[in-house]
Amino acid sequence: MIEDLFLIEKQTYRDSFIHRLDARVKIIISFAAIIAMVAVPYSTTVYSVGSLLIIFFLVLWVFSRLPPSVYIWRLVMVLPFGIFIIVAQIFFTNPHYAVFHPIVTLPLNIHIYAESIEFATILLVKFLVCISFIILLSSTTKMQDLLEGAGRLGFPPEFSLIMGLMIRYLFVFAYMYRKVTEALETRCFNPLSREIPWKYRIRMLGYTIGTMFVRAYEQGERTYYAMLCRGYDRDSRLFIRKKPLVPGDWCFLVCGMVVVVAAPILVWFDIIRLI
Amino acid sequence: MHLIETRDLTYVYPGGVTGLDGVNFIAPRNARIAVIGANGAGKSTLFKHFNGIMKPTSGQVLVHGEPITRANIREVRKMVGVVFQNADDQIFSPTVEQDVAFGPTNLGLDEETVQHRVQEALRMVGMEDRATRVPHHLSGGEKKRVAIAGIIAMEPQVLVLDEPTAGLDPQGVSDLVGFINSLSRTYGMTVIFSTHDVSLVPEIAEYVYVMGGGKIVARGNMSDIFEKDELLTSVRLDLPCIPKLIRSLWEHGIEIDMAYTQKDAESAFLRAFRGSG
Repeated sequence: MIEDLFLIEKQTYRDSFIHRLDARVKIIISFAAIIAMVAVPYSTTVYSVGSLLIIFFLVLWVFSRLPPSVYIWRLVMVLPFGIFIIVAQIFFTNPHYAVFHPIVTLPLNIHIYAESIEFATILLVKFLVCISFIILLSSTTKMQDLLEGAGRLGFPPEFSLIMGLMIRYLFVFAYMYRKVTEALETRCFNPLSREIPWKYRIRMLGYTIGTMFVRAYEQGERTYYAMLCRGYDRDSRLFIRKKPLVPGDWCFLVCGMVVVVAAPILVWFDIIRLI
Repeated sequence: MHLIETRDLTYVYPGGVTGLDGVNFIAPRNARIAVIGANGAGKSTLFKHFNGIMKPTSGQVLVHGEPITRANIREVRKMVGVVFQNADDQIFSPTVEQDVAFGPTNLGLDEETVQHRVQEALRMVGMEDRATRVPHHLSGGEKKRVAIAGIIAMEPQVLVLDEPTAGLDPQGVSDLVGFINSLSRTYGMTVIFSTHDVSLVPEIAEYVYVMGGGKIVARGNMSDIFEKDELLTSVRLDLPCIPKLIRSLWEHGIEIDMAYTQKDAESAFLRAFRGSG
């Protein structure tokens, strides 16, 4: 999991038209797409809107010159969190339908309803669209740029500072984790090895996790002292330089917003219907 | 009036261990002071008292003749900049530029001034082309320079460096020595630093404090300190390379003047060998 952090960072350092866009443009378009998708009422209209937005996402992904495997891998990593809630829906009724028709009856009087399956599918489409744009945003924008972009868009300075610290120490912690892992490997410790007793393995993993906690605590204390040395107080904020958008960014922002806004409107008025 | 002065400074850690025991320390204006001592001697603990990070159990810390209070703590921290041993403790912003700008921003300066100070500080440490880099992509030496830039950007009168050469390669040490000397000579900054590397001391400092067991066990200039073998042994330190070599030559009957810095040693050797030739 920690290594994925470096993998994501590596993708953001690639070079493409999408990578070079200002972070604000990517944030606005991604969140506009998410809002557009979430705002569509629970009906089969979602399929068409979702399809249009996914096509838009795919076009952007192609322009970003990232391999499809990156998207698939990251989607697989995220899916379990949403898929559980989506799958659970098929066993329950919900307020979006008046009548429910059971298509499968399971023991303990559990039913799978046709309407609930439709509802779960709608949720899945919404979930996929939202996650896809988040994956695109985070795969083409460095975390530091995302924070600066959010700051320039009016993200509260208190949060920017905390998020900045989090980003910085996420990587410090990742390197610390890597060093601890290497230290264990150097001394031939493998937590999955059956050659050493499981109790010993559990105990050593416990020590390691404990050490990481203690180190994190000590790091926090030292960092706080260092912040105080540089005048940290409740009014402290992260320095974010003013940066105007270049014409290319404006152009992409306008075009992107037209697509995102037009997709639900065209489907809503039955001008386009893909599914 | 001294820039920094401690009077009978004592600090006892919450666990009951005495960190500092009656320390009297003086840092005059434009001085270059080394604090040497073994691990656990109390050097870092002393440094953390200079800008009010730690509060004395007893005794006093005076900055510009004034005791540190809640009312003047901000002014004190602006005046006394402390660079910690581990740069990762000190670099906490997502980019180099943002980190160096953290102190000046906290001083309430306008954006233009902050930007100017950041550029100037990065230029002084030779990192002006790495402003947009993320800290975890920097080497140890680069991180150290960014940490120093973060303090310099606040334009302190006193720069306190805790083990500045720890983890640096020889070129990094050499660069840092030149940089610290330029800070003192060009900008009139008072520099206080701690180190285990006794050979570094004469290259930067003009005055030395020796610490052991939380106390100041000796103070003086190079000859005062490095001519006392027993003192160095008692605090688990060694003689710097150059005086050690000269003493060794004395034992072989070669007459040569004592020197502590590389430059003085060069002159002494030339005099000795030209004289004998």
